[in-house]
Amino acid sequence: MSATSHPQNRALRWSTLATALLLAGCASVSPDGLRGDVQAALQGRTAGADGALLPSPDPAAQQAADAAINGWLAQPLTEEAAVRTALLRNPGLQARLARLGVQDAERVQALTLPNPVLALGRLTNPHEREIERSIGFGLIELVTLPWRSRWQGSLREQDTLAAAADAARLANDARRAWLRAVAAQELLTTQERMHEAAEVGAELARRMARVGHWSRLQQAREQAVLADARTRLAQARLAAANAREALALTLGLWGAGAEAIVLPGRLADLPAAPVPAEGLEQRALRERLDVRAARLGLDRVADQQGFARVGPLFGEIGIGYQRNTTTGRTGAAAGHAEVQRGWALELPLPLWDAGGASGARASALVRENAALLQQTALQARAEVRMRWRGYRTAWELAQAQEQQVVPLRRLIRDETLLRYNGMLASVWELLAEARQSTQAVAEAIEARRDFWLAETDLQFALAVGSPGSAATVAAAPSTASPSSSSSAATAGAGH
Amino acid sequence: MQRRHFFSGAATAVAALSTASVGRAALAGLPEAAAPAGTATQVPPAPPTGRPFHPVVTLNGWSLPWRMNGGVKEFHLVAEPVVREFAPGFSVNLWGYNGQSPGPTIEVVEGDRVRIFVTNRLPEHTSVHWHGQRLPNGMDGVSGLTQPAIPAGKTFVYEFTARRPGTFMYHPHADEMVQMAMGLMGLWITHPRLDARGRHPQIATADRDIAFLLGAFAVEPGSRTPRVNEMTDFNIWSWNSRVFPGIDPLVARRGDRVRLRIGNLTMTNHPIHVHGHEFEVTGTDGGTVPPSARWPEVTTDIAVGQMRQIEFIADEPGDWAVHCHKSHHTMGAMGHDVPTMIGVDHRGLVGRIQKIVPDYMAMGERGMADMGAMEMPLPENTHPMMSGTGPFGPLEMGGMFSVLKVREGLARGDWRDPGAYAHPPGTVAREWQGPAEGLPPAAAPESTAPPATPAAPARATVRKPHGAHH
Ligand SMILES: [Cu+2]
Repeated sequence: MSATSHPQNRALRWSTLATALLLAGCASVSPDGLRGDVQAALQGRTAGADGALLPSPDPAAQQAADAAINGWLAQPLTEEAAVRTALLRNPGLQARLARLGVQDAERVQALTLPNPVLALGRLTNPHEREIERSIGFGLIELVTLPWRSRWQGSLREQDTLAAAADAARLANDARRAWLRAVAAQELLTTQERMHEAAEVGAELARRMARVGHWSRLQQAREQAVLADARTRLAQARLAAANAREALALTLGLWGAGAEAIVLPGRLADLPAAPVPAEGLEQRALRERLDVRAARLGLDRVADQQGFARVGPLFGEIGIGYQRNTTTGRTGAAAGHAEVQRGWALELPLPLWDAGGASGARASALVRENAALLQQTALQARAEVRMRWRGYRTAWELAQAQEQQVVPLRRLIRDETLLRYNGMLASVWELLAEARQSTQAVAEAIEARRDFWLAETDLQFALAVGSPGSAATVAAAPSTASPSSSSSAATAGAGH
Repeated sequence: MQRRHFFSGAATAVAALSTASVGRAALAGLPEAAAPAGTATQVPPAPPTGRPFHPVVTLNGWSLPWRMNGGVKEFHLVAEPVVREFAPGFSVNLWGYNGQSPGPTIEVVEGDRVRIFVTNRLPEHTSVHWHGQRLPNGMDGVSGLTQPAIPAGKTFVYEFTARRPGTFMYHPHADEMVQMAMGLMGLWITHPRLDARGRHPQIATADRDIAFLLGAFAVEPGSRTPRVNEMTDFNIWSWNSRVFPGIDPLVARRGDRVRLRIGNLTMTNHPIHVHGHEFEVTGTDGGTVPPSARWPEVTTDIAVGQMRQIEFIADEPGDWAVHCHKSHHTMGAMGHDVPTMIGVDHRGLVGRIQKIVPDYMAMGERGMADMGAMEMPLPENTHPMMSGTGPFGPLEMGGMFSVLKVREGLARGDWRDPGAYAHPPGTVAREWQGPAEGLPPAAAPESTAPPATPAAPARATVRKPHGAHH
């Protein structure tokens, strides 16, 4: 929630004070722990699963989520269902969203007005007894409330963006894990075929040697092929099992839920053409959450800089109401009480710091944040260019593998079969070509997987932040600085 | 002509040459460069001009027409790239003369003055050597030694007198290995000068005079051009650049004197074998063999660069095989590295292989005759290792093989295939229908088994025919 009025830093007025009180009064904790805001910021950033929901503390919503997940797990798990499940079930994301609620509550807490100070004094001398009662509070807290309220809103928005970026990263991770798991399973089937071909070749070789047609040398060559195929099959089995495990972990599934995962037989086809590079950099600057967060940070410190010029003037200004009762103890005055009422104003004299140091600090902060925004923008543009190149090349490689290499290998295998038919080639040559052909299919699967991984990363780089980096938006330097470098006026109000 | 144009550019180069260098005007004064029609044997007519002779029949080939020019017999050979059909479905890019490989047979008579124009439409230079002829040294056709090579696009003229009767060959002697590997060669017959009764004292008049050249090519299955650098591992064995069943039958009337003139311009020897008859070698490219030096044979080995002229009386009616006795020379394309599969148990494996290669079928488990019977799809333009079918089933042949068809009462000039031989009843081998006890004992020596080897402890190599499974 950000302030909508922009009071200038003019002289302190009662009207301003009233506004500040009003604002402080309406600062409250978000009832859904900002999940709605995160959900809104997440729009279009869920790795293709449009409108994917975040977990809700509401029991009815939780039940609906369970039912949906059970439905998804009852059939081969689609890429989209994997992303949706991860967003609903990943405990890390749940922790992250809970932390966002904590941050929100802490901020609201920090925004409440300071409690007044009640001072009581009892002073006596032989003639009089004086009771002093004063109620006072530091005026600075009250005076700065409009600014602080606005800055809190900015920080809250930044935190929301950070949480949304983490959720988007999880969606991205879920899609990547799904792609890897499906590809690994597909690769396992190709290795099984290659192993089968090697096994038949070795068995036939054994039978050849048994009847005296082949030497130990010739047999050994086919056995070596089989041994190699066995090794690769074992590696493929391990890779498939681990990829599946990693997927279940990302989805937040375990036990029966994890076992229920049925992966589809193949990855989606390549698109007919890759997306062109035009407009992508502009889109990244518009949509990337890290760029948006950096811009928020800069806006805030700029606002803080304006305040910094006047803030020190108020320094430790305090205001209080005082009521003193003086009671005579002797003479005619004995028992006679005299009451004094009045305002007390504490006004420090700004002899030693006329705002110079804090002004310098504030303008340095602005420069820092401006530079950091520029850095973030540059990085976003460079990343989009790199990711697009990677995406484009992955498309070309996968396309070539599918459209050229695999058909060529099939042709070679088919031609070898024709030669086998004509007794021009042996069954071992045929089996070797069948293995080669299957190997080409395996490489096509890998190339297609790599394309979709590259596509996933490109989408992330376009709309969220730096792919592949573990850093979240919250931890990025561009947004960490404003929240950690509060001016004197906002001390204690940060998160 | 640059090396890289050797094959790919050949046709283009020749087309360019034939319009540019060898213009119509330049060839206007030459005898017409005749070209044949089709690959069937073309029986030449009786000589229309010049001295009389009994023409030979070039198997699946033809004889070159000539013109008489002031008492000189003039021929025109054009060396050029050709496409030769070796058998239906199998054609090869070759070099030949006048549209065909081998080139047309040149037939002259002893004592003829002969002038041969040779036009080179090949991408590289060439020459013609007149193998076995007596002639002036400068007409011998060895490029560099006795003449400059004939450049691409040029026409040279050779002229000499055919002094000695006999069977000869002609072939290039410039880049000889390559040009012969491409099929550039032809036959030359110098007929004897006959006496008033139409006879020669030492050379009989043949009723059926048949000529062919042996050929060997290395054509990769699925391709259509020979590998010219192959020296030993050939896979196409041809007669006049035809392979069985693309070779015409040798047709004779019962009682005919048959003469076969067989020249070898391959890189290995060929023992040519005739079934059902004995023959004598009556001549070589060195001339007529005196009758006192002849002896009966059923096979004669024709060494490299040799010509053999054999004669016999075709007095046994029937369909008699005539073939090279190197058995792989009667095969089509075969894989010399394919291992023996006979007696190798395929149980349980065929289905597994078909999972990987759906169209796989087990072959060779009982021998290779499967190949002759199963018509499996082969690489394009590939002559099967075994093919051809006779009245009793597959012949399982594919190279230097033909059939001598001897029949009663054929007309003198009738070379048409008379069809399958009608065997007199009871003269065909047949299955024994009687009881096994009725057979004489099949005696065998004490031990027929090979000594056991560690690799094959069980004597599992012998397989009964009924042991076939799957
Ligand atoms: Cu031979």
